[in-house]
Amino acid sequence: MKPVTILIGALGGDGGGVLCDWIVSAAQSRGLAVQATQIPGVAQRTGATTYYVEVMPAGAATSSVLALNPAMGEVDVALATELLEAGRMIFNGFVTPDRTTLIASTHRVLAIGERMAMGDGSFDVGKLLRAVKERSREQILFDMDQAAEESGGVINAVLLGALAGSGKLPIPDSAFEAAIRHAGKSVDTNLAAFAFGRGHARGELEQAVREHRKRQTAVQGVEDLIERARRTYPATSLDVVEEGIRRLTAYQDRSYAALYLDRLDTIQALGAADLLREVARHLAVRMSFEDVIRVAQAKTSAERMARVRAEVRAKEQEPLEITEHFKPGIEEIAAVLPPALAQRLLAWGERSGSLGKTYFSMHVRTTTILGFARLRLVAGLRWWRPRTSRYVEERSEIERWLGQIRDAAPLSLDFAREIAESARLIKGYGDTHRRGLDNYRRIADEVIAPALAGRMTPRAAADAVASARVAALADPEGQSLSKTLAAIAAATPPMRQAAE
Amino acid sequence: MLDQPAAQLPVSQRTNPERSFTEEVRALRLGDGEIFRGEGILAVTKAILQSGVAYVGGYQGAPVSHLVDVLVESQDLLDELGVHLETCTNESSAAALLGASINYPMRGCVTWKSIVGTNVAADALSNLASPGVIGGALIVVGEDYGEGASVIQERTQAYALKSSVWLMDPRPSLPTIVRCTEKAFELSEATNTPVMMELRIRACHVTGEFVARDNVPPAISRNHRLAEPAAHNYDRISHPPSTYAHEKIKVEVRQPAAERFIVEHGLNEHLSGERSDLGIIVQGGITNVLVRGLDRLEVEGKIPTLVLNVTHPLAPDQIADFCKGKRAVLIVEEGAPDYIEQAIHVILRKRDIDTKVYGKDVLSMAGEYTAEVVTEGLLKFFAQSANDIDLSGPRERFEAARAGRAEAQRLLGGPLPLRPPGFCVGCPERPVFSAIKLLEREVGKVHISSDIGCHSFATLAPFNLGNSILGFGMSLAAAGAVAPVMQKRTISVMGDGGFWHNGLLSGVASSMFNRGDRVLVIMQNGYTSATGAQFIPNTSGNRRDGETTSDIAATLKAMGVGWLRTIRTYNVGTMLKTLREAMSTDDKGLKVIVADGECQLARQRRIRPQVAAQLKRGERVVRTRYGVDDEVCTGDHSCIRLSGCPSLVVKPSPDPLRSDPVASVNNGCVGCGLCGEVADAAVLCPSFYKADIVQNATWWDRLKWRVRSKVIGAMAC
Repeated sequence: MKPVTILIGALGGDGGGVLCDWIVSAAQSRGLAVQATQIPGVAQRTGATTYYVEVMPAGAATSSVLALNPAMGEVDVALATELLEAGRMIFNGFVTPDRTTLIASTHRVLAIGERMAMGDGSFDVGKLLRAVKERSREQILFDMDQAAEESGGVINAVLLGALAGSGKLPIPDSAFEAAIRHAGKSVDTNLAAFAFGRGHARGELEQAVREHRKRQTAVQGVEDLIERARRTYPATSLDVVEEGIRRLTAYQDRSYAALYLDRLDTIQALGAADLLREVARHLAVRMSFEDVIRVAQAKTSAERMARVRAEVRAKEQEPLEITEHFKPGIEEIAAVLPPALAQRLLAWGERSGSLGKTYFSMHVRTTTILGFARLRLVAGLRWWRPRTSRYVEERSEIERWLGQIRDAAPLSLDFAREIAESARLIKGYGDTHRRGLDNYRRIADEVIAPALAGRMTPRAAADAVASARVAALADPEGQSLSKTLAAIAAATPPMRQAAE
Repeated sequence: MLDQPAAQLPVSQRTNPERSFTEEVRALRLGDGEIFRGEGILAVTKAILQSGVAYVGGYQGAPVSHLVDVLVESQDLLDELGVHLETCTNESSAAALLGASINYPMRGCVTWKSIVGTNVAADALSNLASPGVIGGALIVVGEDYGEGASVIQERTQAYALKSSVWLMDPRPSLPTIVRCTEKAFELSEATNTPVMMELRIRACHVTGEFVARDNVPPAISRNHRLAEPAAHNYDRISHPPSTYAHEKIKVEVRQPAAERFIVEHGLNEHLSGERSDLGIIVQGGITNVLVRGLDRLEVEGKIPTLVLNVTHPLAPDQIADFCKGKRAVLIVEEGAPDYIEQAIHVILRKRDIDTKVYGKDVLSMAGEYTAEVVTEGLLKFFAQSANDIDLSGPRERFEAARAGRAEAQRLLGGPLPLRPPGFCVGCPERPVFSAIKLLEREVGKVHISSDIGCHSFATLAPFNLGNSILGFGMSLAAAGAVAPVMQKRTISVMGDGGFWHNGLLSGVASSMFNRGDRVLVIMQNGYTSATGAQFIPNTSGNRRDGETTSDIAATLKAMGVGWLRTIRTYNVGTMLKTLREAMSTDDKGLKVIVADGECQLARQRRIRPQVAAQLKRGERVVRTRYGVDDEVCTGDHSCIRLSGCPSLVVKPSPDPLRSDPVASVNNGCVGCGLCGEVADAAVLCPSFYKADIVQNATWWDRLKWRVRSKVIGAMAC
């Protein structure tokens, strides 16, 4: 008689060990020969780990020699508390289409390498799901993290329920429930989670997929601007343009939103719908650049409190204290001064060496009247924004960027689109913003400008900008960007002296 | 500086009451005929009590920590039996503990993680093995080898061979493990030799059952003390000329006695099979993989197999008799070098037995013997030695499985993101490395000498800090010859566990003695956390009384350390300032920063039930956690690169115009405040906020809240 083999992939903290104990004690209570083992190592510190269980069918000798290691192509049931870990079991050849029932949660817990990327570093979920579908015999898939939350329990109990629901083990539900009771830890919530898991496995429960809704800016009195956009622009870019109008009106005012449309008109004139959409998206983001005023606006907006309460799970009757972390430096202050004053302040900062050194650490409690009032005051400064040095700086940067897009478009739309896309590098605050802006400028000066001067074929230029942008997002130290730029420079003929 | 989360206990009061082994303790009390159910290592613990040990000791380390941990919580049982328990500060003190059995007929058992623990114990081990013992001495080593292992991949076998200590490697089934444990004491006494028993990771954690026997109270014990010490006997002292005699006795008397005992008591198992022309000799610990492999090839039960539950010494006659008349024998021996295979070659050659011996030529020389490795080895063995066995079916299935794996990997397109171990949510050690990263922004890269312990995770993403690891408590010593040739000072990181295990003498004393101009950061979290939060000399809650035995700062002062700072780890700013000072001060001596912060895992275990109780009683409890304003975050993730906290995750941007995912704090957050500290110290961004949720709020809280909400609501944009 052959054992039923079970491989469990879990993250430290998912309770894989307890899950094993439940399975073992349930099997033992039915008089079945069972053996489990694990390699916990230091996995409880968030690493990935596996557990392996073998259960003999009823009537088998309890003395049968059971294996301690899973074998390729010999796993009957694979359990995973997370989608990438399911992928890992598939990758290692343990999950196979001829034999394995895969019971896995569809939610992702991003690994550190995915989280620390400067842009979006997450592994392609499509690939994972395809492998799951093609490389296993049957699948029981649902978001067990969500199910655990909805049931008020923990994910390992949901997984146990799903295992019971799969009917792949010669063990009745009652035995599993008894195992949970016998363990005696948070019995009720675990039983609830177990029932949820079983319900999902048997298709008795439906799961509303968690959607990440995009938030539109709420603002009135822009109907005419939206009307203007609808008259001029292709339908394919309207959703972006309209959000741009709303955002910039809330950020500054109607006339600023109108300026947005004026700038877009010059791109519309190029007659490329998808280019227009991309530029519209980035332009709106660039024009609503992050300065202290915008941060104050965001932190004092009407919807924020509700959002925070939901995020931190504050219950109806529970008062909430919010403390904001600000640390403006000389540059942030200079940013809101008129250019002339700002230059003097920065020059002084340069001389005194306090630039990039002196910061004012502020912890504002926005749930107190005075604390909120302080931020509200700063938010109220937006009328002053057009006079700030940052505004002036951003304006010229934006104009240069649009200019390059306009010049590039006749040469190659791809080239123009890449220039538009490179605006993505500029984001964040303080050092992050400075790094992003510097990277963007380097690409503008060392790749885009020479290309526009005709020292690269448009196609080559498009590729160069794209690869430079990817390199800029590869490491914060900018090493890969320098390498890439050097390579590009080497591939382009030197500038003629006559140029200057 | 930010106001910190729930004030933490001074190190001297850190205890960890939540970690309890009630179930396990009950299992240790089972009597004649009762069924024991549990893991391998717990079965060993029960078996030594059934064998009448008088004393137990050890140093924690996966996968054998459990043995001592459970006994620590079985004080009543130990008192009843009169068993003395010594929670040793390192493996050499554990090995030295066995010295009791040199002069007194007492059984003793110690345990540690191998290979590293055996390395540390080596000196005492040699000095124990030379005079030998009159009371049974057992060393249970966790053979931390293969998948899931955390140490250098070497074999304990080497020590058994060079010190003439017997080595058991029992088949991973509870009845066998228990029998071997009990027999180990008899073998030890019959041969006056300490016995080691190695258990691999999966064997320590394997579940199973066996029929228990009553525990046996030792004749000599804390409850039955001796009136007189043993009479002076120079033969029992490992000192010349005794040592010359000892060496001869080992090989002329003890080893032959052991070989006889192994055969007479049938310690090695013989699995019969009809193919008299073939045979397999396997380490007990690998038996299950082998048996399943034979089953896979549909020859299970057909091939005579000798299971070596004792891998040193081998019983030459037993080996010879097994091989005699066979065309070919396969040795299944995990790890390098191939000690057993070589020994068997010698045995057969000397007896002119011409059986062909296969081993590392068909099986891999190095690495774990997984199902795949063993199956491939068996296929090669049979192909070369018995082509009359038709293996076409199994071979096809094996190849198909491999092809399937290749296909799966093609589908997934290259390697999956790794998921290395990292610091827990709210770990007090993380901020120190955030500070070191910030320091490197200012002064450039620094040579960092890492150590064993949770803090070694800093050598992985996102910190990637650390140039070398030389062993437990060795980080300061390992910087000895680097510091003098560096323009910048070196930083050695050490845990308080490592400090007491070895770092105090190998590191601090040596550095002071040599006027080393180095920086040492000691992570004082109050436990050896990586091995399961065991207590250490600077923790209270030592199982007998609640008093701290030793304080690190006081110890360092006493040793003459002049530059000494104790910093609360979560204050990244202060930590950075202190590191800066340590790197630049004119003080040329050793500079020590004690980074103090309780292990968060232990802290949570302690306070969770307390908080739950308070809430139940309706008391006012403030829950602190952090959050990220997804409208302010622009998705650069510097905060994650500087912290890597598991609760600091990313989510799709709610902004219709942005594509990069934004940072987000999930509900695992314990409110340690590091993300805020880092945002502050690194001047990252204003996205982070601290939220204090008042549970069971008083009427005053509510009133304040209502008034404020009204006014603020009116002011909002």
